[in-house]
Amino acid sequence: MPVISLKDIKKIYTLGDNEVHALRGISLDIEAGEFVSIVGPSGSGKSTMMHILGCLDRPTSGQYCLDDKDVSSLSGDELADIRNKRIGFVFQGFNLLPRTTAAENVEIPLLYSRPVMGATERHERAMKALEVVGLGDRAEHGSNQLSGGQQQRVAIARALVNTPSLILADEPTGNLDTKTSIDVMHVLQDLRERLGITIVLITHEPEIAAYGTRIITVRDGAILSDEANVPHEGLAEPVAAQMLG
Amino acid sequence: MFQLIPINIWMATRSLARNRLRTFLTMLGIIIGVSAVLTMVALGTGARGSVEGDVRSAGTNLVYVRAGNYTRGGASVGVASGLGAATTLTDADARAIADEIDGITAVSPGLSMRTTVTSGASRSFAQVQGVGPDFADANMWDIDPGRMLADAGNEAVIGRALADDLFGKGFDPTGKNVRVRDADYTIVGVTDDGTEDHDEKLFVPWRAMQSSQNIRHLDFIVIAAEEAGQASRISDEVKALLRQRHGIGAASSSQGYLGAQGSGAGGVDDFTVETQAAKALTKGLYTPAAAFALANLPKLDEVTTAEMADTLDRASDTMTILLASIAGVSLIVGGIGIMNIMLVSVTERTREIGLRVATGARSADIALQFLIESVTLSLVGGLIGLVLGLVTSRIIGWSLEWPVSVPIPAMALALGIAALVGLIFGIYPARRASLLDPIDALRSE
Repeated sequence: MPVISLKDIKKIYTLGDNEVHALRGISLDIEAGEFVSIVGPSGSGKSTMMHILGCLDRPTSGQYCLDDKDVSSLSGDELADIRNKRIGFVFQGFNLLPRTTAAENVEIPLLYSRPVMGATERHERAMKALEVVGLGDRAEHGSNQLSGGQQQRVAIARALVNTPSLILADEPTGNLDTKTSIDVMHVLQDLRERLGITIVLITHEPEIAAYGTRIITVRDGAILSDEANVPHEGLAEPVAAQMLG
Repeated sequence: MFQLIPINIWMATRSLARNRLRTFLTMLGIIIGVSAVLTMVALGTGARGSVEGDVRSAGTNLVYVRAGNYTRGGASVGVASGLGAATTLTDADARAIADEIDGITAVSPGLSMRTTVTSGASRSFAQVQGVGPDFADANMWDIDPGRMLADAGNEAVIGRALADDLFGKGFDPTGKNVRVRDADYTIVGVTDDGTEDHDEKLFVPWRAMQSSQNIRHLDFIVIAAEEAGQASRISDEVKALLRQRHGIGAASSSQGYLGAQGSGAGGVDDFTVETQAAKALTKGLYTPAAAFALANLPKLDEVTTAEMADTLDRASDTMTILLASIAGVSLIVGGIGIMNIMLVSVTERTREIGLRVATGARSADIALQFLIESVTLSLVGGLIGLVLGLVTSRIIGWSLEWPVSVPIPAMALALGIAALVGLIFGIYPARRASLLDPIDALRSE
């Protein structure tokens, strides 16, 4: 049973008189435990894809099943609950709240859990998630006291605190240097291997995409290629050379 | 959704605490509004209570005759006729008033001095008044414990506050002796009459005071009218009677204080007649200048206490409307300030909103968060304003010796309205926040 199943997903934006076809019929299955990298230049439609996969946007047509549930026609509140329980987001800009501790940031998704979760349980689960990303000792640090890599790891902890079936990472290394980028990619690989969480990574950098088990290349709103990949274990020579210039 | 309210209150306090200066400045409108209104309510209610207390106090419709005259700027006034200095008012005058004027229930001659009252080792400087038995009826005294003093003899009635001062709080002083200028009096009763300052006085029979001081005149006469509205007629008749008895010509002009006496061909009055209504109005609340102006309003002495109470009610209605308008304006201004800063906050925190939506917040959750934030803002502002208003009114009350009181409902209303302002002016920003598109919100820098 695939975690994600897209059938002929189309997304058309209307800008004045023009129709922009952001996605021109995408069909795709992602199985549990896969680490899928979606690559493509800007304007290829990968961001639109990620918004639809993340239930932040609805397709114009087509069917999207998440965990075997058709989510293409759910109401706003139902989509909010899906995002809360099934999807964890990791963004390029970390999106941590300023002047808030790491633990408090990780707790945010739990604030919107239904039924309502008590403060103690929220804190315990946040601590557990922080330990998974190796930041158990930084829980009470303010988000601005952490380095970029640490901030992104807090964001990853926030994404997995509600035990989602899917983590969506949108250019997670875009604001990081090479070394911390590799670090963050290892954390994601680790989550897949140890916890079996499905990961969908969106990036425009082939070197980062290479950490996935499967690479999907998108161009002009359609899938150009879809190949299995032997993921990088570490800082492979050619990649490192490329990245470090 | 309501289960999330406690979490939201906590989040709101956190977020408001992050921007302390801005939060404080935003609250300032509400703080100033609530505290100003509360101060004015405190002073207004206190003053109203005091005036009403005087006007409605026991023994309404009293007419006071005082020895001497007080004429502001009157060229022909002799020193000897200054208020309280004249020695022409006598017991015979009091009897004549009681005999010849209708509609009077009680007449009491009176003498007054300030002196030391001693009992054993304790002593107190107090006002001692010589009065007749009717004085209790005229003032509707409730004497407890004990009874009213007799017409003569060495009996005394003591005010509660003075008794507390001399004998200790709550002590029953009946049967005890007090000494006033070498004369001993036995206390036969205690009066507890806060409204007329009788609390701090000692009352002895007027005859006893006359003989102990070796004088034959009176300082004042208190007359109680039988019914409301009679006070002005009685005061007119008393004036005519006393002029006749003292050989003073008919009144031709009124240049005097308190509008109650005139100067005749045979010289100025050597007495002053004033009704209780005038006395109440000219006491305490107003400045001396205002008191003079008020007291010189023609026909003031014809005003009955019922009419006076009516006027006060109307005046306080006007004051209430005035206060409500000030409150309304300042709270609207405060509310606009809150709305403004909440809109700024929504814009500033677009990314935060995007993140919250992405992690599962429903649009109602976002609306609730911002709504609770604005209500918290206004409610805390209201609380600070409440405390500030109470402190300010106490300080003003203390420094001006002005009675102050804030009714509990007024405080509750102030807070309730503050919260309502936050709610009303928070709706629009909250709605804006909840309608943000998460994709745009996440993209914003």
